[in-house]
Amino acid sequence: MGKKICWGIIFITIAINVVMLQWTIEAYLGLEYEKIYGYTIVGVVSAIIAFITFLKWRKLEYTSE
Amino acid sequence: MTDKKKLGLNKKDSNDDMINLVDNLNRDDDMKFNRRAFLKTAVGTSIALGLATVPFSVRAMLGMAEEEFERTEIAKTADVPKGSSVTFKYPTDNDPALLIHTKNGDWLAYNSACPHLMCPVFYEPEKEELVCPCHKGYFDLHSGQPMAGPPQRELPLIEIDISNGVVYAIGRKVRHG
Ligand code: FES
Repeated sequence: MGKKICWGIIFITIAINVVMLQWTIEAYLGLEYEKIYGYTIVGVVSAIIAFITFLKWRKLEYTSE
Repeated sequence: MTDKKKLGLNKKDSNDDMINLVDNLNRDDDMKFNRRAFLKTAVGTSIALGLATVPFSVRAMLGMAEEEFERTEIAKTADVPKGSSVTFKYPTDNDPALLIHTKNGDWLAYNSACPHLMCPVFYEPEKEELVCPCHKGYFDLHSGQPMAGPPQRELPLIEIDISNGVVYAIGRKVRHG
């Protein structure tokens, strides 16, 4: 996995998380509690993916010196 | 930076300290370190956004436990003539609600916090509709469904029971109709 792909993945997770946060707030105000859990799971998983991708990127970036 | 054959940007073929002072001004390095900082910020943003959804889930979990409804007196029928409404709180003190006596004599009750951004919704007797003045949201009086404006969800329906001239709230349906 190249550094470029890592960048791509990280930006995709940002996009996903922005949408998830917006939907979570809407579902919360709409009292649709079941949906909130789904959004939170997606949001947290995508945050974890972002972090793992960051570690991967860091390895590539700092060992290729 | 000791590679003499391939001279980078800002490099002079000399070992003189006073000439190679520009070493710390390398544009490529600058770009690289900025890119790194940028990516780190991006990762931080993504994680922060993802985790920001968690408190809502926690709140939702706590809120779900209290789905028990008490039979609560709202008003006496005599106090709410046709074409008027009264406000009350149901099921908790944080849930404003509206009891409506329509011109035809129907009794209806909804939570009155607009599902758009929580402004209070009003009963408009002339046109027999529910209006949110904040961003011009309109709801159907008989179903609580959004008709126009930004709201996308119906108003939670409060189930009522009328006996001996008193209107009671007995339950709530968030999804209905
Ligand atoms: S808060 Fe009711 S329309 Fe925006």
